Amino acid sequence: MTTSGKDPALTSFEAVAGQEFDVVIVGSGVSGAVIAKQLGARGCRVLVLEAGSGNEITVADYEESVQRFYGSQRKDNNSAYANPRNAPMPRDYETRKLPPGASNTDGYLVQMGPLEIDSTYTRVLGGTTRHWEGKALRMLPDDFRMRSLFGQGRDWPLAYNDLDAHYRAAERELGVAGDVEDQQYGGLDFGPGYVLPMRKMPLSYLDRMIARDLDGMEVTLAGETFPLKVRSTPQARNGVPNPAYDEGRGYKPVGAVSTHQEDKGERCQGNTNCVPICPVQAKYDARRTLYAALETDNVQLLAWTVASRLEVDGATGQVSQLEFKTYDDPDAPGHRVGHVRAKVFVLAANAVENARLMLASDLPGSSNRVGRNLMDHMYLLTWALMPKPAGALRGPICTAGIEDIRTGAYRRHQAAVRYSIHNDGWGWATGSPYSDLEHLVEHENRFGAALRQGLIDRVSRQFLLDCMIEVLPDESNRVSVDPRWVDQMGNPRPVISFGATPYTLETAAFSRRLSRRIFQRLGAEDHTHYDPLAPGYVSHGGEGYVLRGGNHWAGTHIMGTSARDSVVDSTQRSWDHPNLYLAGAGSMASIGTANTTLTLAALCFRTAEAILAGLGTHAPAAATTGARA
Amino acid sequence: MSLTKITDKAGLHRHLEAAMQLEHATIPPYLNALYSIKPGTNTEAFHILRAVAVEEMLHLTLAGNILNAVGGTPDMTVPGFVPLYPAYLPDGETDFQVDCQAFSRAAIETFLKIERPAQGATPGVDTIHKGRKRAHHNGHKRHGTALRARHVPGNEEEHFYSIGEFYQAIEEGLERLHAEMGDALFSGDPARQIGPEYYYSAGGGLMAVTDLASAKAAIRLISEQGEGVTDNIFDYEGEIAHYYRFEQLLLGRYYQKGDARGRPTGREVAVDWDAVFPIKANARIADFPEGSALRQGAEEFNRAYGDFLSLLTRAFQGEPALFVEAVGGMFQLKELYYQIMRQPLGDGTHAAPTYEIPHG
Repeated sequence: MTTSGKDPALTSFEAVAGQEFDVVIVGSGVSGAVIAKQLGARGCRVLVLEAGSGNEITVADYEESVQRFYGSQRKDNNSAYANPRNAPMPRDYETRKLPPGASNTDGYLVQMGPLEIDSTYTRVLGGTTRHWEGKALRMLPDDFRMRSLFGQGRDWPLAYNDLDAHYRAAERELGVAGDVEDQQYGGLDFGPGYVLPMRKMPLSYLDRMIARDLDGMEVTLAGETFPLKVRSTPQARNGVPNPAYDEGRGYKPVGAVSTHQEDKGERCQGNTNCVPICPVQAKYDARRTLYAALETDNVQLLAWTVASRLEVDGATGQVSQLEFKTYDDPDAPGHRVGHVRAKVFVLAANAVENARLMLASDLPGSSNRVGRNLMDHMYLLTWALMPKPAGALRGPICTAGIEDIRTGAYRRHQAAVRYSIHNDGWGWATGSPYSDLEHLVEHENRFGAALRQGLIDRVSRQFLLDCMIEVLPDESNRVSVDPRWVDQMGNPRPVISFGATPYTLETAAFSRRLSRRIFQRLGAEDHTHYDPLAPGYVSHGGEGYVLRGGNHWAGTHIMGTSARDSVVDSTQRSWDHPNLYLAGAGSMASIGTANTTLTLAALCFRTAEAILAGLGTHAPAAATTGARA
Repeated sequence: MSLTKITDKAGLHRHLEAAMQLEHATIPPYLNALYSIKPGTNTEAFHILRAVAVEEMLHLTLAGNILNAVGGTPDMTVPGFVPLYPAYLPDGETDFQVDCQAFSRAAIETFLKIERPAQGATPGVDTIHKGRKRAHHNGHKRHGTALRARHVPGNEEEHFYSIGEFYQAIEEGLERLHAEMGDALFSGDPARQIGPEYYYSAGGGLMAVTDLASAKAAIRLISEQGEGVTDNIFDYEGEIAHYYRFEQLLLGRYYQKGDARGRPTGREVAVDWDAVFPIKANARIADFPEGSALRQGAEEFNRAYGDFLSLLTRAFQGEPALFVEAVGGMFQLKELYYQIMRQPLGDGTHAAPTYEIPHG
């Protein structure tokens, strides 16, 4: 349990406006929380601004979110969280199929297409880790060297090995459950003797059923043969602590965030609604880290506050102050405008919001790369009915996947891919099990025992395989702002332009073919179909596919070796503004086939060290602690 | 069960068996109160009760670990292990009985007695603090008797004023026997220990017991989580003791660090004493109509609870991995709880699980 028995250090507009801090951090998600915790522990005076509600700390607050999800008609990935009109968030159902040349301005995001992306993020304390699923895979060494190895995309200004200690620190902070033995593929190296903090989530019945028929199946791609194997997926979810962790010192899981110790937070119970909210707080969310930051007594939190403009000294390029808007009522118009000064500013509001704030401040960067190179994983969903009940809707959303094709020489020609086996049935693709109920009642006129049996027959056999496809940085995929589109507070809304390249689509087509083979091998009945009227519908090679977003926004303040073609350096520091850091997935130069959270958390440990060094404080112990494990 | 001063291993075993019985005896009353809260209401009260019930499971397991460590055999399937409520606590606290009843002020007042602090670190010296005395206005009539009884010669029956004092007697017994026998006292098979991999809470987890130090650490954890023998609201790990957790419900406010006993200054705890299934106190199977679905459900509950105890017993007797499965069985019990508690009995009360566990 994370608790001090003390009410949290929420501060007020009056206490903050006009003040100076060592460091001001915009955003309380995982990036901001990691940096705040590291700096607070070293005695820096830190202010964290959060656009959403600050009433998200007690177990009762959390319970309100759980109840909001239970009571919500649409179970979208933000359905557990209040959506304030003064700091709105994207909702996937706002996405529409766009006719050529059209745009969609209905939701918070303005979508210009050509591909409508249904990705979202969460503007609430703890950020998008509140709704994330919790997969915590490392990127592969190859992912950092895309240009050198495959002539595609960009190289990072740092190598996988440079991040190893920070990956370890992130795995500790997030509390990753997984078995390193299962992660021996694609050049992944965890270092000798390393184990993750907790043992792997047990494989689901479905995973084991699939492994039995699938393990050993071979796939040939660009002349290279890959034997497939079902492997456990590391995830930031409380499981069984590994006594061998940290040289035998073991690991103490962090439970529920609470000021009042009503509850402990538990190990995963398999409720299968990790997205949008774990009912028992077994899943990591950044409030845990943030709460630890607040407990240092050096970190203050100003919630209900949107950062609106960075002001820069024209002579030095230094950020001189930050303008922010604090609202009292989440929905009614009205707010106060304040300013705050700091030695160092950190934007940690996610790749879309960081770019939005920079562009709203007229800071496109000397390279004009701010907002460009927008990346996200493209998900192709494929689904089938297993020949026998397979136990759908038990366990966390995914416990295993197929990782063997995450890298290879084929990446010269087409995107990398990994596959996840879903324990939550067809939910993502079809809205199951609610849609199954509707189908059985409306179309098959079933009721009573026949309806119950129908649901059992249909739901328990569902198998969904998601294909997570890499997207390369592309300067025409971007976040921009436009004075025509502002939110209620007058802040510009993010304008998204996004398209899928043949590099990505080739792997979508390959994955669809592979899923057909897999379903055949399992004796499963393929139910995959793609609606031409659905957002994300694309054609490639004469076949149609629906691509879904992964909520892994990245690349908008891309990391590089020079100010000419990148926005930040390898510590996430702005080339143009020496006291400004842009933190999070926006800095990533590639996203490979790992969801971004673990890697961006690792980057933020690195950034905290750089900030401390800049402020003349010794580097924090985090990386060295991790290295000891 | 009557207890006399620990003078040999058999006496130690008897005390630890009583300890398991004691820890377990709190669970049905806590669960009855917990699940009598109408779902979706009283969330703070629900979590407070739930957290305490979960820690009682931890204490039960720690007591089982100590018993295993000193060569005993935990067995939760023996007839009488589960008391018939209303019941006295098995450590000989004779001034109050525990009911299985709905979430109510009366229930919380009983829980305060269950978790009440020890009378003082120094044996025989009454150091009851004012705050505690106020909270316990009903519970003190006989404490003088209990106090004297604790220091009787070895063959006389022991009575303890509090669970804390009971564990103090166990700790003293452990130390005495260890001084006599050395490490031979800890003759149990370490493979029988249920370790932190099977249960944890960040406030203090399960530990394997293999020697005097770990046995004392386990006792310390039980005592401090329960009633705070040190008279502190928050224990050495910063965790709030059960006694004060419950008291927050009556006082309507959370404790914060630095608060004086009886005067919490944290946020308000909203309690709706009416959003509760009005379950019959200490219900019996015989209260439910013969042949009714309700009666079948209540019997199913008792069987399921018996199965749960059997599985736990097997976990303690050499199959620790079954512990996880046993805990998983609590989900089924919770479902049955709600099914049963929703049934009105026609006299203004609702049904409740009866904990009449079938044997054989």
